[in-house]
Amino acid sequence: MVTFAFFIFSNEKEKGRIMAMKQIIAHSDSINMLLARYGVKFGIYKHGQFIEQLFPFDPIPRIIPAEDFNYLERGLIQRVNALNRFLADIYSSKNIIKDGIIPEDFVFSSSGYLPECEGIMPPAGIFSHISGIDLVQAKDGTWYVLEDNLRIPSGASYPLIARDLTRRADPQVFNEYPVIDNRDYADILKETMDHVNLGGINVILTPGRYNSAFFEHSYLAEKTGSVLAMPNELFVQDCKLYYRDDQGSKQRVGALYRRLSDEFLDPCTFRPDSLIGVPNLMAAYRAGNVAIINTPGNGVADDKGIYYFVPKMIQYYLNEEPILKNAPTYLPIYEEDRNYVLDNFDNLVIKDVAEAGGYGVVFGSKLEGAEKERFRELVKNEPRRFIAQEVIDFLDLDIMDEGKQVPRKADLRAFVLSGETTRVWASGLTRFSRVADSFIVNSSQGGGFKDTWVLSR
Amino acid sequence: MGTFSLEKRDAMYWLGRYTERVYTTLKAFYDYYDKMIDRDPNIYIKLCDRLDIPNIYDNPNEFIHNFLFDQSNPDSVYLSLNRAMDNGIMLRNEITSETLAYIQMALDLYGASTSSDVPTMALLPVQDYLLAFWGSLDDNARDQRCRDIIKCGKYIERLDLYYRLYYPADKIEKELCKLINRLPRTGMPYQPELMDELVSVCRDPNRQKGWRMQCAHKLYHLIG
Repeated sequence: MVTFAFFIFSNEKEKGRIMAMKQIIAHSDSINMLLARYGVKFGIYKHGQFIEQLFPFDPIPRIIPAEDFNYLERGLIQRVNALNRFLADIYSSKNIIKDGIIPEDFVFSSSGYLPECEGIMPPAGIFSHISGIDLVQAKDGTWYVLEDNLRIPSGASYPLIARDLTRRADPQVFNEYPVIDNRDYADILKETMDHVNLGGINVILTPGRYNSAFFEHSYLAEKTGSVLAMPNELFVQDCKLYYRDDQGSKQRVGALYRRLSDEFLDPCTFRPDSLIGVPNLMAAYRAGNVAIINTPGNGVADDKGIYYFVPKMIQYYLNEEPILKNAPTYLPIYEEDRNYVLDNFDNLVIKDVAEAGGYGVVFGSKLEGAEKERFRELVKNEPRRFIAQEVIDFLDLDIMDEGKQVPRKADLRAFVLSGETTRVWASGLTRFSRVADSFIVNSSQGGGFKDTWVLSR
Repeated sequence: MGTFSLEKRDAMYWLGRYTERVYTTLKAFYDYYDKMIDRDPNIYIKLCDRLDIPNIYDNPNEFIHNFLFDQSNPDSVYLSLNRAMDNGIMLRNEITSETLAYIQMALDLYGASTSSDVPTMALLPVQDYLLAFWGSLDDNARDQRCRDIIKCGKYIERLDLYYRLYYPADKIEKELCKLINRLPRTGMPYQPELMDELVSVCRDPNRQKGWRMQCAHKLYHLIG
């Protein structure tokens, strides 16, 4: 077991932390006022209606001591490098399958595997430029990776703007407390885009105003100096991607940070009924004329089933021992695991591999009678559809709830950016549940967010 | 000249129009509301007529609440402010978060004022925020042409309302002069001869009765 510095704060440090928290809490109204001023919102669809609301922000930050961050940083870089190697391998020679490390069926039955991406090597060989790795810290201090998000992980803009506004509302605390400034995210993102840019402007592609993460799209475009474009503002000609201007001229696009899902990206290659794609975009990408960030097809690597194999990938590609741990996971497709899952159903959390955003997550202990039996049958009959994990009792973080400090479950989405080098952003999105004892932290299900402070010493 | 798409250019133009529509309509509302207090409670009917909007209101109180706050009413001021935000939010990159924040604050304040019994007081800061928005736009817009397009939208909307609300000719001429200077810099297609005509009508001491509405209709065709 790793002992973490979190638990060995000296009295001096602990006093400093308590003072800083008191100060921040005292200024929480000012911070919330600033968040409202800048429209820090996310959208949800309820009963077919788009509702945009402020993303609930808790002023008490998650604090990660320098020693913990160093450990996380090493583990995250290792993990993302291995995942990038896996994607390069799967869409080319498939050695990891040939060598029997991952079963073939497991890869090709993944809904994230896209045969249309076979044989395409993206610029600089990078598939996952922006990786969002979800972690939790157990009560004994151990960090576990819960999920890898390699398609279009969102959320970085929230701690980014929250820090900016918190520094305005409470400058003193940042003067006294050694927090690494996280406002370099846009610079790192721009460098990442520039690194793979094949000549032309950087564009952030948004599906539009009514996308749940539109705030983030527009904010990151502003901060990186990229053009924010809707699909109908882009077109492909002679296998090159262009942005159409209002004077009828065109500008070549060198890097496209797309914020819409693979299946909608190009109606000529994927879903023909997509009205939000750019026709022939994949042809331009395949011809090596535009970088797509993140590359299409990455879903095969962040499939909840493939997650099980990530530690093996690290050993296989990097010849290293994994630094970060996976949550103990079982694949019902294997008979031994399936029997374990059925025998220990009440102690496990079962996840539908096709779902995201906190949906399709079932705690065995919460099911009863016929419902439980039905679910057990489902696991038996459709084993590839599910994974099961031991329930990790996450460390609670304090939040402010109606003026009182109360503990709530929280996770951490760390952002890893792969450009010239692989870098971990010294911050991250801490999401928390607003309901006591609930493990569901997703914003789409009512969760809130905190800033994540990484200490410099 | 800055590069942006036709869709963005439209958003700029309409951002200018909707922000101005809110600003000048509120000013007009206050004038008429003042008369409704103790002179003519039904004068709002005249305002509807001048703005060329249907009088769907059964009584003065309904007019006050519905015209100001009902988002399902396409002619309400609240809806215009929402439309300004819809356009503005597409332009964060061009106008900056700092500038957009003034529309956000105006919108939040507007929403919080719906139950106020003194809307003239409650909505006063909305106009302050809009003035701050234009000031911030001048300071922060990333591109001169973007600023010109938004301002042309603003001046065209202002002229349209000034014509309809029977503003004096000298005030209208002042706005026309501002528009003449900006319009060629926007890169938007427009009819220069129509612009000249609008100016000459305004300066003509012998212009005919009803000239304002005629000009308002011509203004509609100014931008191609």
